[in-house]
Amino acid sequence: MLRQEINELLTQTGPETSMGDLFRQYWLPALLAEELPANDSAPVRVKLLSERLIAVRDSEGRYGLMDEFCAHRGVSLWFGRNEEGGLRCAYHGWKYDVTGQCIEAPSEAANSTFCANVKLRSYPLVKIGDVLWTYMGNPEKTPPLPEYEWVHVPAEQTFTSKRLQESNWLQALEGGIDSSHVSWLHSGDIDSDPLFKGAKGNEYNLGDLKPFFEVTDSDGGLYIAARRNAEEGKYYWRITPWVMPSFTMVPPRGDHPMHGHFWIPIDDENCWVFTFDYLPVRALTPNERQAMIDGYGVHSENIPGTYRPVQNKDNDYLMDREAQRRGEAYSGIKGIALQDASLQESMGPIVDRSKERLVATDSGIIKARAKLYKAALALREKGTTPPGVDPAHHRVRSAAVVLPKEESFIESLSEEMTVRPGVRQAST
Amino acid sequence: MNSPTLLSSSAQATTAAEARFRLGYPLAPARGARVVALDSGAEAIVRRVAELPWDTARFFVSEISQSSADFDGGPVEVDLRRLDGSTTPLSTELAGADVTIMIATTDVGAEAAAIIGAACTVRGIMTAGIVVGDADTYLTVSALRPYARVLIVSTDENDLDALLTAVRA
Repeated sequence: MLRQEINELLTQTGPETSMGDLFRQYWLPALLAEELPANDSAPVRVKLLSERLIAVRDSEGRYGLMDEFCAHRGVSLWFGRNEEGGLRCAYHGWKYDVTGQCIEAPSEAANSTFCANVKLRSYPLVKIGDVLWTYMGNPEKTPPLPEYEWVHVPAEQTFTSKRLQESNWLQALEGGIDSSHVSWLHSGDIDSDPLFKGAKGNEYNLGDLKPFFEVTDSDGGLYIAARRNAEEGKYYWRITPWVMPSFTMVPPRGDHPMHGHFWIPIDDENCWVFTFDYLPVRALTPNERQAMIDGYGVHSENIPGTYRPVQNKDNDYLMDREAQRRGEAYSGIKGIALQDASLQESMGPIVDRSKERLVATDSGIIKARAKLYKAALALREKGTTPPGVDPAHHRVRSAAVVLPKEESFIESLSEEMTVRPGVRQAST
Repeated sequence: MNSPTLLSSSAQATTAAEARFRLGYPLAPARGARVVALDSGAEAIVRRVAELPWDTARFFVSEISQSSADFDGGPVEVDLRRLDGSTTPLSTELAGADVTIMIATTDVGAEAAAIIGAACTVRGIMTAGIVVGDADTYLTVSALRPYARVLIVSTDENDLDALLTAVRA
């Protein structure tokens, strides 16, 4: 249960909101690099944190993210022509560079300085890995660039996809740190999905439906550990790191790639889910990469030319009751990503948390909310930089390991939960 | 064979406003939460939190005093101390409880945690543990781990408030 005013604070991320201010402290995934594939490629409309923006890549390969609307008459620059070092409005020909600076206003005199005083709000847009990142906060406080491992390994070792989720960002994030649902909702996929099957850990997952949980503070957020019975005298631990504000990793399985999500608010009722798979020490195989493209694992099959999943609320996510009865899909929905998204969207655009009945095993969610709330207040009242801004906080890994019963994951796995270049993931 | 999805039974027919709608009826009663401080540091936290307005939560300090003899092999009876100094049997307090939260700042409460955890297990009561501390918490966590289905290791004393609020205590 969450008081209504706190629920509103945590779910509203538009300009001049507390949580919006918090999100504006971080570099955030804005779009996939494939959306601006070449110099002078078509501009892309991007809505982030309730701001309508347009992303461009100019003739020299420079990226920019700016106010979607022309300063002149307010038309969308999506209709513009991206050519010769700028984006030209289709209405009257005003032209902007990647910083939003107006560089031509054809209606004005040839030697006019008019343009110098016309600048659209803009944000930096930087390519790291397969992702274009932006920082929407105070330019004077721009933090160092992100250092998440998945965007820093060689290209052949990583894959990122993106999908639209038609719900508030927080209920999507909360799914990412809710370890106890895996043995239920995803039980039909653990041993059949090509990116999950065959791992020894799957047996522990399916063999113990009442895990114990440990939730521990980390520098950047939390570690949420689920502990299940393994062989005599041993526990199977699955560790999920959460880095504020909205980065989560899923504990890996066997030699399969590691994966996770970045949950980014579009507005208060929609979010982008950036989903990645990567391996620290080897290239993805062609079969693994194809499985990700086809929507297996934690990825989704999207409507061609869009980032909206083929299975969506307009077609009831292609519910298959027969598959549900056969146990192939516990909820009847195909695929892990849409199993999660379908249920989270079913809560409504912004779930009313004042009506929840949480239990103690929801402690990861409870503590994550508390940390977000505390960080938002500290930022608003004292200007305190929140956890997760420091790139050192990004260097985390998930882990799935069997340990002797007397050992604590937080001590025994401290190295395994930290990025170690050239060292394989800790995965059973 | 799958039943056809009719428009009227589909999410497609739901506007955002309709999706927000929930039937209005009284919320379920509050959870029966028992909070037990396992050491003096934890007692200070519990005393502060107990001052807040709660519905059915009750707050105690564990003292592991036996209130009835165990010479015949019967069940050990453990007393808890209420914050006003009076004592009450653990078994009495667990009647009607559905979650017991043990809070510790050191490992001195390991024995109490074992007894309380066992009593809760027998009764099917969820156990949670909160270990609060800035320094090395390894021993404290190890002491609580076997008896708490959920363990929160934290530097933030307010986690007890957050957990109690979340479970409607």
